[in-house]
This record gives sequence, C-alpha cells and structure tokens, in this order.
Amino acid sequence: MESLNALFSLGFATALTPANLLWALLGCTLGTAIGVLPGVGPAVTVALLLPVTQSVDPTGALIMLAGVYYGAMFGGSTTSILLNTPGEAGSIVSALEGNKMAKAGRAGPALSTAAIGSFVAGSIATVLLTLLAPVIAGFALQLGPVETFALMMLTFAAVSAVLGNSPLKGFIALLLGLSMGLIGIESQSGQSRFTFGLMPLIDGIDIVVVAMGLFAIGETLYTATYENKIAGRIESLKGSFWMSKEDWKRSWKPWLRGTAIGFPFGTLPAGGTEMPTFLSYSAERKLASPEAQKEFGKGAIEGVAGPEAANNAAVTGTLVPLLTLGIPTSATAAIMLSAFQQYNIVPGPLLFDTNPELVWGLIASLYIGNVMLLVLNLPLVGLWVQFLKVPRPLLYGGIVVLATMGAYALRQSWFDLMLLYIIGVLGFMMRRFDFPVVPLVVGLIVGPMAEKHFRRAMSIHQGDLTVFLTHPISLAILVVTAAILIVPPLMKRRQKMLQAA
Amino acid sequence: MIKRVSGEQWLAFGIILLGLFMAWQLQDIPNDAGYAGIGPRFFPSLVVTGLIVAGGALLMQRRHSNGPDTILSDGENDAAEVEAEDEFARGDADWRMFAIASGSLIAHMALIGLVGFTLAGTLLCFGICRALETRRPTLDLVLSFVLALGLFHLFKTLGLNLPALMPGGVL
Repeated sequence: MESLNALFSLGFATALTPANLLWALLGCTLGTAIGVLPGVGPAVTVALLLPVTQSVDPTGALIMLAGVYYGAMFGGSTTSILLNTPGEAGSIVSALEGNKMAKAGRAGPALSTAAIGSFVAGSIATVLLTLLAPVIAGFALQLGPVETFALMMLTFAAVSAVLGNSPLKGFIALLLGLSMGLIGIESQSGQSRFTFGLMPLIDGIDIVVVAMGLFAIGETLYTATYENKIAGRIESLKGSFWMSKEDWKRSWKPWLRGTAIGFPFGTLPAGGTEMPTFLSYSAERKLASPEAQKEFGKGAIEGVAGPEAANNAAVTGTLVPLLTLGIPTSATAAIMLSAFQQYNIVPGPLLFDTNPELVWGLIASLYIGNVMLLVLNLPLVGLWVQFLKVPRPLLYGGIVVLATMGAYALRQSWFDLMLLYIIGVLGFMMRRFDFPVVPLVVGLIVGPMAEKHFRRAMSIHQGDLTVFLTHPISLAILVVTAAILIVPPLMKRRQKMLQAA
Repeated sequence: MIKRVSGEQWLAFGIILLGLFMAWQLQDIPNDAGYAGIGPRFFPSLVVTGLIVAGGALLMQRRHSNGPDTILSDGENDAAEVEAEDEFARGDADWRMFAIASGSLIAHMALIGLVGFTLAGTLLCFGICRALETRRPTLDLVLSFVLALGLFHLFKTLGLNLPALMPGGVL
C-alpha cells in the first residue's frame, strides 16, 4: 500500500507535469519509429541520446529513454508483421505468424492484437513493478559488497550462458566486454590500465562508441556485405483493421500467458526479450485448440498475441533489477544504467530513498506511456507504415551518419571515429560468427562495478576469499550461478546419450 | 562448410593473441596499491586468463566437431527454425561492398576536421548508399546532403559542437 501511496502522491505528480508528459510522448514516438525501422534498435537510440540528454533534467531524460525502450517493442511488431524483417530481436517470433497473417489479408487484426497485447502486458507488468520494486529494494538494502558481487557473477553467467546457442561464444563476448571495461584509469588506485600510452584512452572507452560501433556500424557492414540481394516486400494493410469477436476470444488468454512468461524473464538476469517470446510461442502452439493448431505456420493469431505480450512484459521486467539492484540484464538496460551514472545517480536499493520523485515519476510514466503507445500504434499505424518505405540504402546511410556524429561529438576527436570503426568491424565479425552482443555490453558496464564491489568486499574481510561462500545469501546466489553453468550442458549430454541409445 | 570452420578458428587465434598481448601489457600495471593482496592487476589477470582459455576452447571445439555444434532440445525447435532461415538468408560475402562501406567511414574520419561535418557526412551517407547498392545514386547524393545539413543545424541548436567548414558555420 505504501508503494501505491508513493505512486499516486509522488509518481503521477511528477509524471503528469507538462514537461515530463512531453518527454514521455517524445520517447514513445521515437521508440515506435525506431522499432518500426529495421536496423535501428532501442540500444543504439538510447546511446545516441545520451550526449543530447546531458543538459536535460534527469527525471525527464530517463522518462524519455524508458519510452524509447518499450516503445521500440510496440513498433517492432509492425515491421515483423508487414515486412517479415523483425525490427527488434524481441519480435522475431511475431514475424513467423504475423507475416503469414498479413499475407492472408489479415494484417489489421495481427497489428491490433500485437498493439493491444503489448498494452495489456505492459500495464500488468507495470502494476507488478509498482508492487514488487519497493519490496525487492528493501531486501536489497541488506546486500553488502559480497552479495552484490555474487549477484553480478550470476548476471555474467546468465547473460553469457543462456543467451545465444553457444555458451562459449557468450563467454568470449563477455570477456571482450570486460576487457574493454578495464581500459582507462582504475578508480580505486588511480592507475591507468591498457591505455598503451594513448591519452584519449585514459577516460576509458565510452559506451556511446561501443553501442554505435556494434549496433550501427557493425550492422551496416554486415548488411552491405551479406544482405544486398535480399529484397523485402511490404504487405499492404487491406481488409478490416479491427479484430473480430473470434479474434478477441483467441487473443486474451495468450496475452495473459505471454505476460506471465515475459515479466519474470525480464526480472531475471537471464535477460533479453528473445527467450520469453520463443517460450510464449511454443506454449501457445501447444495450448491452442485443435483447429487453431492447424493454423500455426499459416498465420495463427495466438502466435502473435502471446509473444508480443511477452516481449513488452519482459522489457518492463528488466526495470526491476535495474532500479532495485542497479543491475542491467539487457543491452538497452545497460546503456540506461550509464544514463543514470551520467547524472551521478546510482540505481539500486537506495534510489527509492534518495530520489523517490525520479523513481516513482519514472514508474508512473510507464502507465501513461503505455496509453500513449496504444494510441500511437493503433489508429496511427498507417503513419508508421510510411517509415517502411524509406529506401534501405538511405536509411543505413542516415544511421551511420548519426552514429559517427554521436561518437565525434563526445570529444571532437577523430580518435573516437577510429574506435567506432574498429568496434564496428568487431560487431561485424561477431554477427558473422553468431556471437551474442548483449554479454559484451553488459560486461563493459557491469565489469568495472563488479571489480569495485569485489575489492570493497576484500578490504572489509581482510582478503578472505571464503566470505563469498560463508555468507548465506552470497552462497545461495553462487550455487544458482553454478547451476546455470553446469546443468544445461549436462542435460544436453544426457539427451545425446539417450538419442544414441 | 570447411571455410566457415576455418574462419572461426582464425577468430579463436585472434582471441588468444589478444589475451597474450594483454598479458604482456599487464606488466605495465603497478600492483602495489592493493588492499589485502588485491591490487589493480588482479582483475585484469582474471580476464586475460579467461580470454586465453576461452580462445583455446573455441579452437579445440572446432577441431573436434568440425562443424556447427548446435544440438537443440525439443523446446528449442522454433529457435532452430528461425536460425536455419537466417543461415539460409546469408548469401555469399560481397567484400567489394564491405570495402566501399569501410572506405567511406575511414574517409569521413580523415575529412571531418578538414571539410566540416556537413560535407564529410554527405560523403559518408552517399558512400553507405553505394555500399548498399542503391538504384538511384543522384537522388541519394542530394538527399545525403540535405540530411547531413539538416542534422548539422538540428544538433547545433541542441548545443552539440560540430565542426563546420566555414567560420560562422552554415556548412
């Protein structure tokens, strides 16, 4: 109840000021736009906005960045359904059924169920966030550096072992991120590390450069090299736009199930929106009525409703660990964390005491933003479809110019442009050889934090490494970490043996 | 298939080399400031070890299995389908286009201080359009210029400091 009180007295009071409403609207609109555009994701957009938001008041800026984050999930479905090119990783599954529906002349209901499902899921997930966040923050207050370090190890293990199809590649990506995070002055001793005597490296590698390099430059190089021959075809919006009674009847359960799958996944450090969407899709496929099951693969509405709800619930879910523990579980959340750091605000349990207006304003803005997005995506969907008509070469040209501008504006130095290109080539290679990118971004941001907590823990406990095992909470977290690493390979091996037998 | 495996092995070599290079650089980090034996060199040592071990594992994995080692359980079938589609979609590499995109980025890097943001940005945007095989280069050149000029003025108003060709800064 206390949290509801804070939400209404502080949160909505902050979020409903004209300026913050405008920031929310701007964020949601921008988010929808970049969600619709293939090739631009929320991570790169949030990174690009970082330098611009430096002079904006933190609450407004974070409201806008959050709007970009979940707005992209709304917009991404439009691209999946009409173009069969997922605008976002989280809407890959929606392309499976949604595009088939569009091909069969049912683009309208597909878009509707995606937008309404996202709204339902986003709203329920925000209620859960409102109720859960203060509880978790209260619990997190008891966590010292030992437990926090253990939690970070869990995050590392989960993002690298669970995402993607090869845990080893995930770990290599994580290690590359950790290595980049080491560059620059080490905060505790003031020693410079891996700067190779180069002055510009003393401040470390900026997250803006890394995000732009990986997501914008790497993606462009990949598209230029491998995907020039692939032509997309936009399905037109014809037939009835609204969902029939039958469509509603088939959609509401998948929405709720998608939310139930998506939200917990978002809160776990296993991160990302892909996993819950895949899970939701296979759940809907199994649970569908026999007639509907025949439609799967040919355009079943359940296959759009469930995953779209799941990805939105997951995005809201990622805000739980971000706000209460200060731990990001996705690439975009990691970049949002550096937005907090830019204002010298440390997300974590204390945030609810030190910056209540900011936290509750941000949470209240999610309720408002969801309504805005429903309006932006349902009646105005025709407008966003126009975005899909931007020719791809020009779209990528524009993205690259924006990326170079973002990198150059940091310090007015060609050095950052060179770093941008080098990281772009790295992103290209990672994409080419199927390395997940999220562990790299999380490693870069969380790595330095983990080191700080580790050394703090060591100085409190006189260098006694066993504290990680003697503190019960830390031990429990580390056991889960070990399980994440050990159990899946064992299961795989068992299955292999069973198959062989 | 053979080509793919060897590419990944090169990558594994690269990762090991990076690890070794960083190990060599470790010596430049003084290790005195540590509390309780944990100095600024401790964490980097862990990361470096990890890189070398993981790079080695990637190399060995490829030697043993000699092909993609993805075994998927039942639940992962859908993911596999999408991935198979993705794999199918990846055509032959067109390195000429990679070179055009890279060249545009490097030229932009060299030129931005000389000719200003607008002109360098126009060239870059146009170069990327060429790399993505645009079918209407002249129009794209014009639009690139309009875009770069628009961004230049938009972000100048927003307070971002971008280099201009002429003092006073219209371009």
